[in-house]
Amino acid sequence: MADSKVDKIKYGILKVIDVSGFKVFDPPVRLLFGEEPQKQIKDIGRYMVLPILFVVGCIFLWTVIAPTHKTKSGEVPTPTKVWTAGQDSLRFHEKEDEKEKAFFLSGEDRLAEIKEVEALQAELQAEFEKLEAISKETSANAEAETAKKLAPLQKEYDELKAQYKEAQTARKAALTALSDKVAAKQAKSADLVAAIIDNDTKTDAEKGKLKDIKTAMDDIRSNPPKEVKEAQLAANKVADEIQHGKKRLSYLTTGNLSEKKASFVAKAEDAETALAASTTGKDALKQAKYVVSNTEKADKADEQKYPRAASIVWQTHRSLLTVIVGFIIGALIAIPLGIMCGLNKIVMACLTPLISIFRPVSPVVWLLIFQIVVGAFFPDPEKHPLFVFLNSSINPLSYFQTNPAMIFSACTVAMCALWPALVNTALGVSSIDPDHLNVAKVLRLGFWSRLFKIIIPSSLPLVFAGLRISLGVGWMVLIAAEALSSSDGLGKFVWDEYQNGSSQSFANIILACFVVGIIGFFLDRLMIILQRFVSFDESATL
Amino acid sequence: MSIELDNVSIGFGPPSDRYEVLKDINLSVKKNEFVSIIGFSGSGKSTLMNLFAGLHTPDKGTVKLNGEVITEPGPHLGMMFQNYSLLPWLTTFENIALAAAQVFPNYSKKELADHVEHYIEMVKLTPARDRKPHELSGGMRQRASLARTLSLKPEVLILDEPLSALDALTRGSLQEDILNIWEAEKCTVVMVTNDVDEAVLMSDRIAPLTMGPEATLTEPFKVDMERPRDRHALNDHPEYQRLKTEITAYLMRLNKEAKELAAASGSQYTMPSVMPKNFTPISGRPSLNNKVSQPS
Ligand SMILES: Nc1ncnc2c1ncn2[C@@H]1O[C@H](COP(=O)(O)OP(=O)(O)OP(=O)(O)O)[C@@H](O)[C@H]1O
Ligand SMILES: [Mg+2]
Repeated sequence: MADSKVDKIKYGILKVIDVSGFKVFDPPVRLLFGEEPQKQIKDIGRYMVLPILFVVGCIFLWTVIAPTHKTKSGEVPTPTKVWTAGQDSLRFHEKEDEKEKAFFLSGEDRLAEIKEVEALQAELQAEFEKLEAISKETSANAEAETAKKLAPLQKEYDELKAQYKEAQTARKAALTALSDKVAAKQAKSADLVAAIIDNDTKTDAEKGKLKDIKTAMDDIRSNPPKEVKEAQLAANKVADEIQHGKKRLSYLTTGNLSEKKASFVAKAEDAETALAASTTGKDALKQAKYVVSNTEKADKADEQKYPRAASIVWQTHRSLLTVIVGFIIGALIAIPLGIMCGLNKIVMACLTPLISIFRPVSPVVWLLIFQIVVGAFFPDPEKHPLFVFLNSSINPLSYFQTNPAMIFSACTVAMCALWPALVNTALGVSSIDPDHLNVAKVLRLGFWSRLFKIIIPSSLPLVFAGLRISLGVGWMVLIAAEALSSSDGLGKFVWDEYQNGSSQSFANIILACFVVGIIGFFLDRLMIILQRFVSFDESATL
Repeated sequence: MSIELDNVSIGFGPPSDRYEVLKDINLSVKKNEFVSIIGFSGSGKSTLMNLFAGLHTPDKGTVKLNGEVITEPGPHLGMMFQNYSLLPWLTTFENIALAAAQVFPNYSKKELADHVEHYIEMVKLTPARDRKPHELSGGMRQRASLARTLSLKPEVLILDEPLSALDALTRGSLQEDILNIWEAEKCTVVMVTNDVDEAVLMSDRIAPLTMGPEATLTEPFKVDMERPRDRHALNDHPEYQRLKTEITAYLMRLNKEAKELAAASGSQYTMPSVMPKNFTPISGRPSLNNKVSQPS
């Protein structure tokens, strides 16, 4: 009996693997349950180990080739650099979280946090000093080392220079003597020419030699040993953390929301006492106004938000929201339209010209059109009720900082994602098996039951196949649209990095490339799973 | 319900590439009569069933139910499709329930489930109740389709080869079930079959369909045997013997004629010349225009 239980678990896991489309993990699971170990090991070798080796090989190639290509933005980053860039980006996001938390803390918690941060700061300071010392030492050592390496070269250089100078003067004297002789017709003029050529070659050779030594010295100077850079980097990292701690402290004290509010309240109270004690009318008016303005400020303080800096994590969240909103809008338009097209040949004939013409239009054009057309609805986005509502501090969606650019991007995604879903839905509905329609006729199903009980279920697999393509298209389009419309998201992240061109930028761009790819992959998987759930025949979908 | 075909012709395709399937079909099935149609593959039996069900409208002639022209299909003309036409996204139970709910909208959930369950049990599909069509064998699908049609409790049962994919035992028991329903519900049955034994066992009349194109029904054979008919005793029944031989001989003749016709016109397919082992030609050979008296 235990066997059947184990079998149940095994087939459960295998089913999940199958539905989610990760067939690769099938052999290891079977191996774990001891099913035909030899076959499984063979399969693992073929379908897991080999691909992993291949990918590792690619990464190795990347590591080797990348530094050989120098670009305007520095060397092409290696995998390690991209990995570091990823970690830095995550830390940046954490820092924003910490600061935001600090901004909103109040009461006991705030005081406790201050203590904690101060303790941390002290620790960091100590560490920084240590690292700074190490860094200084390594750099001093390195300098000494460099000087040691340079000294013999310098000596050689000086010696050679003196030697060559001497030789050159000697040759010059010989030339003068020879030319005098030629003038006195005591030597051949050809000899003089030959001597000049000889002199020039020798001088050039000497110059070249000196230059070679100079370059070698420059090389040593400009390439300090790796340790120096690393020590410097480590120290800088801690310095950054200290800087962050200071910022955090400031958000816990003067910049803190509750503190700010308290200070306004205090000011208002002061003004009130002053008002009570005022003797002249002018003074009373001034104090009364002061009371009003400070009370207002205190009331408004609650609406204040932490001015968050955009991190890649936040940009990713925003991109995901935009693509999902755009995709849903697209699907909501495409599916009903597609059903109508599939049901009615006239509708299909009417829509075909529009579909054929608008489908190939580039997303960039759509984006610009939406910017103009949709932009007209939000002449003053700051005050538009939609954005005021979405971004008010009580709304959880305010995290995404919705703005018109995001709406344009979502519309562009919808517009481009529309077509595959529309075409596939129309195809699915129009290619419904006539036998199934006969069943509907015999049962005398009404229009709606025919639609919902026969037509839609039978076309669902194709509809979902279309939606899957749509989501893929939408995600690709979104990144371009964000870059162009500067709507915050991964596209804008890439664009900003490209524009700002710091030493980290290139690595960040490649990091974004991976993030976009991996998210695209998971979105596709998600759609495959949904597709599996609605498909009634066992035909594999991949 | 009586059903009547009056000089019905039907064909498919555009005028340039016309294929006349049925021509001048005349058949009148009386109320509570059981008529079998027997004929070769591709001769137009399914097309004929579609005409009965109202799924096709004839090019010429009329199909009348109780004297009124059939204009559209409906659950009272319960059609069982030759290719089963089960909805692949629904389980056996759901397929039948979808149909039954349409005919019995006033049933409560429980009544409907009981109703469906009853027919699933009848066709012995209870173990496959919650499986989807692609998880069923061909014969199981056929039974599910039969159960669906029976669950409609139609006034006219139109069965297109309802038992062709089943083994002899299941087939026998379902024949009994269909006959029981026919007797209990007093419905009219038109059934296509390619099994002469089955036709003789079950029907009041057997109408042979000639080979297509332009197939037509010839004078039906009347099965004049008392009911209930016992399939085991039947083998020795002289009338049974006579009908079986007669119909088989008739069909072979049809085949032969078709062959000759095909040879003459250079048509593409011929039927193999096969004969049952125990076939003994009887005197008074049947001919195309055999005169078996019509039931009154
Ligand atoms: N919708 C259609 N369009 C064109 N031709 C058709 C159509 N339906 C049937 N036919 C033709 O009509 C002829 C008869 O078909 P039908 O399905 O009625 O044969 P059948 O007697 O039921 O054969 P079987 O015993 O194999 O089921 C065939 O030659 C077929 O090609
Ligand atoms: Mg047929």
